[in-house]
Amino acid sequence: MTLKSERINIGNGINLNLIKTNKFKSNLLSYYFIRPLSKDEVTKNALLPLVLRRGTEELDNNLKIQKKLEEMYGADLSISVNKRGERQVLRFTIESASGDYVKDSKYIYEVIDLLKSIIYNPTLEAGYFKKDYVEQEKENLRRRIEGRINDKRNYAIERCIEEMCKNEKFSIYPFGYIKDLDEINEDVLYNHYKHILSNSPIEIFYAGEYDNNLVDYIKNVNKIERENILNVLREPIISGVQTKNMIHEDMDISQGKLVLGYRTGIPYEDRLYNALIVASDILGGGPNSKLFRNVREKESLAYYITSSIYKYKSIMLIDAGIEFENFEKTIDIVRLQLEEMKKGVFTDEDIEISKKSIKTSTESIKDSLFLISEFFFSQSLTNDNRSLEEMLDDLDRVTKDEIVEATNQIILDTIYFIRNTSVKE
Amino acid sequence: MTTNTYNNDKIKEKLFYKETDGGLKVYFMPKEGYTKKYAILSTNYGSIDNIFIPIGEKDTIEVPEGIAHFLEHKLFEEPDENIFDKFSKMGAYVNAYTNFSQTAYLFYSTDNFYENLELLIHFVQNPYFTDENVEKEKGIIAQEIKMYEDNPSWKVFFNCLKGMYEEHPVKIDIAGTVESIQSINKELLYKCYNTFYNPSNMVLFIVGDLSFDEILRVVDKTEKKDYEKTEDIHRVYPNEPKKIKEKFIEEKMTTSAPLFYIGFKDYSLGLMGEEEVKKGIITNLILDIIFGPSSIFYNEMYEEGLIDSSFGGYFTGKSTYGHSLISGESKDPKLVYDRIMRLIDRPVDAILKEEDFNRIKSKTIGSFLMGLNSVEFIANNFIDLYFDNFLLTDYLNVLESISYRDIINRFNEHFTKENVVLSVINPL
Repeated sequence: MTLKSERINIGNGINLNLIKTNKFKSNLLSYYFIRPLSKDEVTKNALLPLVLRRGTEELDNNLKIQKKLEEMYGADLSISVNKRGERQVLRFTIESASGDYVKDSKYIYEVIDLLKSIIYNPTLEAGYFKKDYVEQEKENLRRRIEGRINDKRNYAIERCIEEMCKNEKFSIYPFGYIKDLDEINEDVLYNHYKHILSNSPIEIFYAGEYDNNLVDYIKNVNKIERENILNVLREPIISGVQTKNMIHEDMDISQGKLVLGYRTGIPYEDRLYNALIVASDILGGGPNSKLFRNVREKESLAYYITSSIYKYKSIMLIDAGIEFENFEKTIDIVRLQLEEMKKGVFTDEDIEISKKSIKTSTESIKDSLFLISEFFFSQSLTNDNRSLEEMLDDLDRVTKDEIVEATNQIILDTIYFIRNTSVKE
Repeated sequence: MTTNTYNNDKIKEKLFYKETDGGLKVYFMPKEGYTKKYAILSTNYGSIDNIFIPIGEKDTIEVPEGIAHFLEHKLFEEPDENIFDKFSKMGAYVNAYTNFSQTAYLFYSTDNFYENLELLIHFVQNPYFTDENVEKEKGIIAQEIKMYEDNPSWKVFFNCLKGMYEEHPVKIDIAGTVESIQSINKELLYKCYNTFYNPSNMVLFIVGDLSFDEILRVVDKTEKKDYEKTEDIHRVYPNEPKKIKEKFIEEKMTTSAPLFYIGFKDYSLGLMGEEEVKKGIITNLILDIIFGPSSIFYNEMYEEGLIDSSFGGYFTGKSTYGHSLISGESKDPKLVYDRIMRLIDRPVDAILKEEDFNRIKSKTIGSFLMGLNSVEFIANNFIDLYFDNFLLTDYLNVLESISYRDIINRFNEHFTKENVVLSVINPL
């Protein structure tokens, strides 16, 4: 099956992306709002989906919305806020069982109506968002931000990015900052929301089965007033390292969390970008990678150690959970493995294995409605018109020389380590 | 031997079955148009099976905590090349997991499926343990255990089980402890392997756009056929008293806010097949009706700021244990607990309304149908239900057969103040 998405402009800065498939037992509708990642609005943006989910004009509390979703055969509403490079993306999605399976061919229109109402017709009170909802969700967001420390592995990765990119917007935490919450109320947030509706680029996705009536219906419910649409710019890429960082944080934990942050300076538009992806996979992608073999299998230092490329910012992070006293030993092994790759000490078989592994995970996208729409959304963000198949062909053409060339652009920038100094080493 | 076919028109899925000459049961669900092809080979042996009579012996032994999981790690060892490399060369993603009641080995691939299937069967059926490779693994698993020790959600969950169970090994950490794994050696691993990895105790499940004939040809060519036919494996589970061990367990850790688990211990045990699965679905429907996002309880507590959207409950169990778990994050877990106790004290027809039952049932049907989009969902649920003597393809029928009366009866027996535990992790 070749994946296709038809992208239609249906309003100023609004695109409808249609993906036709009857392979699944469900349909999926998603809205993506694209914002610049900025300290001015990050917290308000993160709060918005939480408040919008609380109620619509018609279904004015969570209980009514949830009942409605359940009546629609357990349609699944999800929201998310994240950063893609230096863009903050708000997503609203409903996935619902196909009419075919539940013997109800018309209710898909109610699904569309519900998601549309959550986004465009929120519960209002005196012309603004409902005060209680805003206050309660501010509290939830505060807890969400404080809850960063609960997942130690993720926390370490986020903290490494914050330290490494402290002079770049990419360091901004996508759920915002507690200090901003005091200044946000129902009126500030509502005004910001109107702003977002009028000037954000919006990508709508519908994946599953549909006919012309359904497409017309989606077009119609998304006719809204729009102003000058923001041009949300691509983030700058820094190559080279200004200051080398080494940061230690102390926490009451049993396992040390190590993150190494590297600059590659290879943007995703560059001819070497595919080679960089392969290089990172050879180094620390899967269980056949150099780091897995040497750090885990040979030295028993870690249960996990992986390397990943952050596409939009062209940085590479290596992370591992280790004993506190193995900090230097682990870094030495990582350094040696990367040096070897720079000298070309890896085989054609290593390259083949990595290409196959990337191919398998990329092709698996086709088995999930959500991943299919995420894929096309990401293509639209990067102005990349290639199909999934074309991307894989390009990847397949990567040569050893290119991998060596790409690897030689990888420079260590920041070492971040969470340890527990109250534990005797 | 004949091939069996099961059809279910409601879910538009088919299932094929055959037992091979070597005694392995093979099930296959075709998924046309799917890119991913998924195979899982599982043995009915998990962390709770730590007292048993080894094959060919007379007396029961007790093995170290965490040995089933240790064995899972070590099966990836081969005399020549690392098994990970072999899968990687064919573009397959390979993994394994151990839970309370089974150990499963799986891979998925988009190409070379049949070659990968050969590898899967071969490596699971051919253990290679040496003193050296067993020792080496201890450091790796110690790091895995420590990773979980730092995870407050995992801790609060296990503390809840430790509070509920006096004797049953479900209270033991699946990976064991850094201390308990030290006494594991190659002889013990072979003993567990030979007892539990007999084909009669295993199942192979495959899902994807594939041919069953070709699958059977590969299995027949690859599988070992010289296994001795075994009687049922003799496993011993200690007598678990009805009462719970501790009503309240509290611990402090690095976490931003208190986390809690409230567990209701199940007494209706010893069921298998449809009866057991039905009990599980019924209990989960109840939990969704009274604690789910459309319940009055959830919405009141949410608006008071006592819970957030992470709040929810589910039931899980096998024939020797079972429990409902209600969990979340709260500034005041004890108050959440008190409110739940007050709620279950109310008359049952005030808590469980028929219209809510009907709505939640239709939601559960829709969610199950959507789950069938995912080969992972299909495979993991298939093998989980399989060892309970139940086929996934019958799941929807059982779900549809549940009545309002079933819900009321189960509520009265399961949700009482006598069988409940509160586990809390507080910030340091």
